[in-house]
Amino acid sequence: MLLLRLKGLNVCAGDRIVVRDVDLDVSCGEVHVILGPNGAGKTSLLSAIMGLPRVRVCGGTIIFESEDITGVPAYERARRGIALAHQFVPSIRGVKVADIARHIVERYGGDGYEDILDILDVKNLMGRYLFYGFSGGERRRLELYLTLIQRPKLALLDEPDSGVDVDSLRLIAEAVNYAVRSWNTSIVLVTHLGAILDKLYDITRVHIMLGGRIVYSGDLDVAKVVLSKGYIEGLKILGVTPQ
Amino acid sequence: MSLKERARKALSKPSPYGVDVDVSSYTIEEPQVYGEVQVDKSVEEAAESKVGIKPSVSQYVQVGQTAFYKLMEKSLEKYGVKVMPLNVALEKSEFARGLVWRLVSPDIDKYTALTYLYGGELGYFVYVPPEVKVPTPIYTCLVLRAERKAMLAHNIVYVDDGAEAHVVTGCTIPHGVKGGLHVGISEFYVGKNARLTFSMIHSWAEGMHIRPRTAVKVGEGGEYVSYYMIYSPVSSIQLFPRTTLEREAKLYAASVIAGKARGNYDIGAKAQLEGAKSSAEIVSRVVAFEDSEIYARGDIEGLASESRGHIECLGLLASPKAIISSIPTVTSRNPQSILSHEAAIGVIAREEIEYLESKGFTEEEAKSIIIRGFMSIEAPGLPEIVKTQARRLIDYIARSGAL
Repeated sequence: MLLLRLKGLNVCAGDRIVVRDVDLDVSCGEVHVILGPNGAGKTSLLSAIMGLPRVRVCGGTIIFESEDITGVPAYERARRGIALAHQFVPSIRGVKVADIARHIVERYGGDGYEDILDILDVKNLMGRYLFYGFSGGERRRLELYLTLIQRPKLALLDEPDSGVDVDSLRLIAEAVNYAVRSWNTSIVLVTHLGAILDKLYDITRVHIMLGGRIVYSGDLDVAKVVLSKGYIEGLKILGVTPQ
Repeated sequence: MSLKERARKALSKPSPYGVDVDVSSYTIEEPQVYGEVQVDKSVEEAAESKVGIKPSVSQYVQVGQTAFYKLMEKSLEKYGVKVMPLNVALEKSEFARGLVWRLVSPDIDKYTALTYLYGGELGYFVYVPPEVKVPTPIYTCLVLRAERKAMLAHNIVYVDDGAEAHVVTGCTIPHGVKGGLHVGISEFYVGKNARLTFSMIHSWAEGMHIRPRTAVKVGEGGEYVSYYMIYSPVSSIQLFPRTTLEREAKLYAASVIAGKARGNYDIGAKAQLEGAKSSAEIVSRVVAFEDSEIYARGDIEGLASESRGHIECLGLLASPKAIISSIPTVTSRNPQSILSHEAAIGVIAREEIEYLESKGFTEEEAKSIIIRGFMSIEAPGLPEIVKTQARRLIDYIARSGAL
């Protein structure tokens, strides 16, 4: 069943167009990976799907569960089942992780929190201030935890494999696999390093993003070519001439 | 010079901290004492709704200069606990007479002097016998009902060696009353290996000046936990309780301050680590709304070996017209005393709100979550009823502050 459809999506940051003419269909339980170098527009694309005010849609539409949500605010999108694991998270001194987690659980209900808590090994972080003084791995694991306890239909994961050690990377991949297989969560995951890819079980499609456009889509082999040869050289091998 | 003479001289002596108040502009009624608790509906309602204490179940209630106490208090009698107005205790007990004005001197400033000279020693006297662990809180309630009046209270709590007690105090005024002076002198004695938790919730109103003067002495191995909350407007409040700690004694002092209207709040805590291995932790959470001006003080003096102290003052400026000044001071007079402090003042950042919006919360909900989380301090060992009441009030502060 089709969950998300992006039709000719253009995204602006200030006066600048940072995402151009993106078409993307994501069905329930699918895992889409968007690969691209820094500055390709990956984070802006996820921000636009989430409805964050730091970007605005300046063309095209976002359809979620057959409804046009292009003008719907972020909190309403979250309530409809879209969640974003941010790449950059704010540290809030004085506010404990457990408080935020409790509010999220109260809002979304459901079960499976304990499993995710164990998989991501974040129980020991509950008494600390939100993201304050966290290591890279702790930050990524906790943000993924706070995202998945929303029990989203669609989880947008922004660089979950960036700046983490191998142990955290394994736990993050395990949690993503758990959400897909146990809850049929759909995933759109962006990464520039691709370190997590060989640990994910169910990758549906890999998209290469460059200069704000999705320039190529294929299976996991596409990622292997690009990651081994670099974006420009890899795309040439795939027969794509970036604009 | 006699204490009385010293106090008379101090009647014009301002406090080094806080707004100076002209105490001569307030009238002080004659002290009265009743051996049963019978207060009118407005007092009952104000105390219950604003500070979560029912006067009818309190062991001591003071309305202005009239004290009510439970002459026949069955629930505490079985533990041997004594609760009565201080002036009654002073008539009856040599022991009580030996405790007054020992930790707080009458000539500290005009407020202590006023209470010494004109307070009539109203206030509560609580005595907990050795090794007695009182499971239920001892409730006291102080209410100022009429405008331009002064309420003067002098409180003594003595928790004897090995004993444990919870004292819960609420101070408030009924709806519609504005303008008044409240001075509360408190001298608390925590015996050897004894434990006292003291929770105080203040809900006053614009026009009120509040001047508590508190000193606590914690004996060897004893523990004193203080939880203080104020969430109402005031004209001004200034308090800086001092705790001295003997060997291996512990202090945990938490202050939760929500500044409102044009109130001037000067609130802190001071610890003197006099005994080896004594320790103190002073924690404050300050949120400044509207035009409020808040000074958050913490002061720890390390005098003994292996003593430890830490101050954490965190502030949240919730209005562009408000002011927070955080003043932590640590002073070491012993090379083996380890002291530290951290202070930070911030605002609710746009990125924090956007982050929580992406988790499904509206802007108002996001602000409320941040304020609520920020103000929630878990002081160790507080009675469940105090925790529940604190949560209720913090919810109220967060909800109203987020709008």
